Amino acid sequence: MLDNLRECVQLGEKLGAKFVEARYEDLVLRALQRTNDVWRDIILKSRAGIGVVCYYGGASGYSFTSTANKSSMEASVSRAFKMAKGSAKAATLKLDFDRRPAIKSRKSDTLSVKDHPRSEDLTYKTDLVNRAVDTARESGANISNITGRYGELYGQKLFTNSEGSVIDWNFELVDLRCTVTSKTVAGHLVNGADGAGGTRGLEYYKSPGTTPEDIGKKAGSNAKEQLKAKACPAGKFRTLVENRLAGVLAHESFGHLSEGDFVAVGGSPLSGKLETRLGTRNATIVDHGTPDISDIGGLWLPYDDQGTEANKTTILDEGILKHYLHSRGTANYLKQKPTGNCRAIHFGFIPIPRMTNTYFDAGNLTKEEALELLDTGVYAIQSSGGQVQADGSFVFKAIRGYWVEKGEIKNPLREVSLSGNILNLLSNVEGATKDLHLYAGYFGGCGKGGQAPLPCGLGGPELIVDDVTFGGQAG
Amino acid sequence: MEYENLKNELLALVDTGLKYARTVDNQAEFELYLFYRNRAMVNITQGMVDATDGIIEGNATRVAKENQVSFASSSGISIDRIKRSINEATASLKSLSVKDERFKGFCEPKKPSKEGAFTDEILNIGKDELISYANALIREGKECDKKIHMVGSSCEAEWGGFAIGNTRGLQEASRSAVNSCDVYCIAVKGNERRTAYRYDISRERLIAPEGLGEKAAQKALSLLGAKKLDKTMTMPTIWTPDAAAAYLYASLGQSARGEYVVEGRSPLADKLEKEVASSMLTVIDDGQNPSGFNTEAVDAEGHPQQTVTLIENGKLQSFLFDTYYARIYGTESSGSCSRPGRPFGSALPYETSPMVRPKNMEVRPGSNSLDEMISSVDRQAVLIVDMPIGIFHSDVATGEFSAVASSAFLIEEGEKKWPLQPISVAGSFYNGFKNLIDVGNDLEKTLLTVDTPTLAFDGFSVVG
Repeated sequence: MLDNLRECVQLGEKLGAKFVEARYEDLVLRALQRTNDVWRDIILKSRAGIGVVCYYGGASGYSFTSTANKSSMEASVSRAFKMAKGSAKAATLKLDFDRRPAIKSRKSDTLSVKDHPRSEDLTYKTDLVNRAVDTARESGANISNITGRYGELYGQKLFTNSEGSVIDWNFELVDLRCTVTSKTVAGHLVNGADGAGGTRGLEYYKSPGTTPEDIGKKAGSNAKEQLKAKACPAGKFRTLVENRLAGVLAHESFGHLSEGDFVAVGGSPLSGKLETRLGTRNATIVDHGTPDISDIGGLWLPYDDQGTEANKTTILDEGILKHYLHSRGTANYLKQKPTGNCRAIHFGFIPIPRMTNTYFDAGNLTKEEALELLDTGVYAIQSSGGQVQADGSFVFKAIRGYWVEKGEIKNPLREVSLSGNILNLLSNVEGATKDLHLYAGYFGGCGKGGQAPLPCGLGGPELIVDDVTFGGQAG
Repeated sequence: MEYENLKNELLALVDTGLKYARTVDNQAEFELYLFYRNRAMVNITQGMVDATDGIIEGNATRVAKENQVSFASSSGISIDRIKRSINEATASLKSLSVKDERFKGFCEPKKPSKEGAFTDEILNIGKDELISYANALIREGKECDKKIHMVGSSCEAEWGGFAIGNTRGLQEASRSAVNSCDVYCIAVKGNERRTAYRYDISRERLIAPEGLGEKAAQKALSLLGAKKLDKTMTMPTIWTPDAAAAYLYASLGQSARGEYVVEGRSPLADKLEKEVASSMLTVIDDGQNPSGFNTEAVDAEGHPQQTVTLIENGKLQSFLFDTYYARIYGTESSGSCSRPGRPFGSALPYETSPMVRPKNMEVRPGSNSLDEMISSVDRQAVLIVDMPIGIFHSDVATGEFSAVASSAFLIEEGEKKWPLQPISVAGSFYNGFKNLIDVGNDLEKTLLTVDTPTLAFDGFSVVG
């Protein structure tokens, strides 16, 4: 296949492209879903294809094929070149970049896991789901639905370009989740959920806290607790943001705004604000392609889809904006170093600036100190996602929480949305806990430019933030 | 492949694939789905251009035997790739020890419905036209006012089809073509940044980008000078068509899906033929609307697509089903099986196992214009003019939502006053249907595949 990719590069250059990138992926995706006692999904996807980017006159053109024969590949290169050449006339913002020495990957770039998902059979994986669902049933109450899901994604990613770089590594990701829906006496439905995933071997599901039984128990007991939960009051409150939710906040409300393409065109409120104080000293936000997964979890991404090695990029350093997340073109345009953030969801899309593992860095508070600092407000926990707009407005959903008074946890709260403007929020971060955890998974992911869901890691410590808007129930 | 011959070529491959499948296991039941779509797209943002032109093609197999069902897909539609998914699905089945006792077989053959509207002009759109349209949109937006600091546009043309066959004798195919464009403008004044967008999309004519750039720019400019609402209270909210479409898709578009009804996650599950909304509300899902973006002759398992009445004068009439969930529920499929494309589907739809989704939802319009709806509100209220963010991060089971409307105006004494800084709107989708206070007459086709007029609700919490 590498020879085929090299031929694509040569053909693109022969047609007149200034620079060509060709990549190939051969991935296996498996998803299993049990709903109550029924196995609804036993899914296996074989995703293989070639993508070609041709650069011409500061513009790029992209094409792709899932047919790995000579004529299809040649047609793809020709389409990519024609799109680039046609676009060059319209491109007034040129995203050229300088050549660099060729990069060669090493075998050690692929994170080694003990029990790779390819080495276990289907029954092993359905058993993980069964154990989670069965434990959830024992732990819950008034259950109307239990769904257990297992997902895995792994396979080869191969890349070459006009510089002669050869990058060959294997992506790997597993995920196990459980969701329980219970019915209140009044007939309302409430949820509880838990899960664990990332670039891990299946031995991860033997570790305390992430066994199928632990996941099922948490999902069931969370739903049971929600049966008695009250609606969150609407208004502005101090909040303790749990680490999964802090991750969504870092990703959705800040990470996207730091992506180089938004910044280059002036679409981000972070454009032109390097070295500006945007937050308190408690707010440090990092994007890291190769975190210490055995310690804090996350997703392993040693290279992006433009052949750039992973970096640890401190975007916001103790409140001061330091760096953006880049492709080679946006890095050159904004006079920064490439950060290894140019990613595509699959071969059908051109790589664009995206996040890898994005998180608030840890602080120095214990959980008890954080609750004490919170005093009175909302402890907002877990998330089902969020969204941000170009002006920095964000909304994200906590799927459960607690009302806290004078540092003491009181009654549980139902799901609630937190909203505001990220630049205001960063200036209200009062502290962070010591514990740092990253989460990644097969189910869900990041969306941008029609490319969704892209697996990303996110997480962080727990954060104390003042003056957060909660869209709960008006008194 | 050419559009003219697309169905025949795909059906020939389906036939070959099914013949092979029978040699793999003649006791099993097979279903084979082939997808082919040609897609060209140009994005321009502040002079930065992204352009893509490629063919998405893939296949998927479902195999069932003794109440065990498995699914496998693979990219490509060559016979080798088709055989791969057949073999992998069969191998999965053999290693399974889990059963689905509710599975009663794939879709039975039936006479197909009609494909939607089509113009061959879409087939002939080239990259130069797409770039020209995108540039025109940007020029219009930029020339509108100096406060328009940023304009982005995208234009897209795609055509293709799918074929489906199974060992019950079903072999059907359907084709469609669609072109679309959109433009967004950011107006800036001091530290204030306001965004607005406009779009055009059609399967029956070429897109008409003229005037869209200017409209988007004017809309963004109208949002400048926003004031804080400075209140937390329950008040009426008026949702113009783009916002109302999001509300409908996130609520009824989910809770009417047969899988949620059967699995006990839809609060509507036990409310058939009961009042679930104001009598002003009538909603259909029309899989045969000629201009609907999801209109096809057959759905994703080969069942003819249909027109389904979901709510009539406030009373819940029916749910959306595919064959699997219809049989469990004890009814017929409504032709609602999907391997999702628009509005939230995968770029590789063949990778998605069949599920139930609305095709083209449509709300029956009322009699009042937007101005009349505004003037009839005797209290403070909020007018929401674009899709609020976060509205899709709601859960079908609870129906509770909380979204942020960044494009909103205050209504006071029956008049539209000034734009508001982003407000949070929260409540229950299902209570909202009961608290519907007006349905407008301004029916619009939206990007969310929901045709709706403006809707006005009472009872949501607003924080700003």
